Amino acid sequence: MLIALNAVLGRELKKTFRQKSRLLASMVRPMIWLFVIGGGVGSIMPDDSHQNYQDAIIPGILGMTLLFGSMLSALSTVYDKESGVMRMLIISPMPSYAVILSKLASSTLAGLLQIIMLCVLLFALQKLHFNQINWTLFIFSLCLTAIACAALGLITAVVSKSLDNFAAIMNFVIFPVFFLSGALYPVDNLPTILHWIAVANPFTYGVDLIKHSIAITQESTDFPLHVDALVLGAFSIVAIGFASWKFTQESTLATLINKLTGGKR
Amino acid sequence: MILAKNITKEYGEQIAVNNLSLDIPQGQFFGLLGPNGSGKTTTIHMLSTLIKPTSGSISVNGIDVQKGPQTVRESIGLVFQESALDRTLSIEENLYFCAGLHNISKKSAGPRVNELLELFELQSKKNATVGSLSGGMRRAVDIIRGVLHAPKVLFLDEPTVGLDLPSRRRIWRFIKQLIDEQQLTVVLTTHYLEEAAPCDNVAFIKGGSIVSEGAPEKLIDQLGKTIIEVNGPDTNALIERLELKTYEYMIEGGVLLIRIKDYETNKLDVIQSTLRGKADAISVRKSNLNDVFLWLSSNDHGLK
Repeated sequence: MLIALNAVLGRELKKTFRQKSRLLASMVRPMIWLFVIGGGVGSIMPDDSHQNYQDAIIPGILGMTLLFGSMLSALSTVYDKESGVMRMLIISPMPSYAVILSKLASSTLAGLLQIIMLCVLLFALQKLHFNQINWTLFIFSLCLTAIACAALGLITAVVSKSLDNFAAIMNFVIFPVFFLSGALYPVDNLPTILHWIAVANPFTYGVDLIKHSIAITQESTDFPLHVDALVLGAFSIVAIGFASWKFTQESTLATLINKLTGGKR
Repeated sequence: MILAKNITKEYGEQIAVNNLSLDIPQGQFFGLLGPNGSGKTTTIHMLSTLIKPTSGSISVNGIDVQKGPQTVRESIGLVFQESALDRTLSIEENLYFCAGLHNISKKSAGPRVNELLELFELQSKKNATVGSLSGGMRRAVDIIRGVLHAPKVLFLDEPTVGLDLPSRRRIWRFIKQLIDEQQLTVVLTTHYLEEAAPCDNVAFIKGGSIVSEGAPEKLIDQLGKTIIEVNGPDTNALIERLELKTYEYMIEGGVLLIRIKDYETNKLDVIQSTLRGKADAISVRKSNLNDVFLWLSSNDHGLK
């Protein structure tokens, strides 16, 4: 089991560093949000809060990087070119739940690798400062958010039959999860309906948890620390449990196998 | 080695495999043949634990597939119609990744990886990414992947589909070497029937059931060792003239095919003398598995 896990994680590492253009894109996206949206929206705010808006969305941008990194990695497994790998996984002696767990582990790792590089970049640009971070909490919050994002991706992958193209996944899953959260604006100020959607969105708690770990954003958090951790943890456990259960169901496996092997049904 | 009893697979109303039984002894090279959609792939997926039969039982290596799918998977290899490889990784990385999934460390997989790369003439390409390989080479890597963990049974689902002739020949040379050297039990599906000629045993499957089973030579004998091909102009008139029974002839692409058994050699002379001057061309040839297949799939009379 350990050898298998090692193989799955090793492959994810190799792939991340081999696909240079994808890696570059994953760094450009948060920079655009930080400087273009952060700068643009910040500029319509009163002068003194201009800089503050950019700082305020840094946890949201860290969360977004995890969302794209981990969730896309988890979602893509079944559908894109990587399906060759899925074929290897389903014929291996690993039980089905282990296939789900190994996918969870590698998707979490995919997000975390991107976040490490983003952090290096943010430190270099002086947007994050070493001494303003509660490191234990920072690492904990990033890991937990990455797991939750990967779990969200897994659920989407196991329940959806038609989300097989990138645009659909972006429009119907990733963008709503990102925009309907506390990533770009405090949840408290949102209109009622949006507020409730954001409260029901687990990603909101991930961003909030990251806010807790950075000194400048600590005051703008929406929920207490333990609520964030509990919601994220509970969501992840339920999501992983559900994904494993669903994945081991005969109907899900049959659909997947037919898809992977070119079956007609 | 592989024992399937009365297996049936239903997808809703549709019956993909219907009450099918198989007994494949150890070391046998077995071919499962039939037209597209006849249930070959579904059968292979059931035998290889990927899907569960609706009813019936399967055991592989004496282990019930339903009770210990994971244990069964340790002792079987499967090569799908489509490649099961990571295109972005190199040949060697793919193989070590696959070894890892079977809980074999890189160190202990090393000698076998090298041995197989040598056998498949891929040693010099081992650092090339799979995406950069030709279809034939990729298929070769797929087969190495299938036998990497030294399985007892290898399932090959249309292993040469989509490959050009030289690649197909190469792949078959490799598979035969593997069968000779590794004492594998091999279950093959293919619709290139000449590829099934070296099988010890074949089963023709149609509409989810086995319609004919046996050694290829035996099936050819049953059909008749000789085939007469008669070209027009009016095949129906020729049939009437010859007073043929439906199971003796078939029309394929405008050509009248008549099968003749060993003891019926006098028929050959009768046909030739009756048709002299009436047919455009008459030729006589040995029959093969393709003929068996054509007769089975066009004719409801079976091989009388």
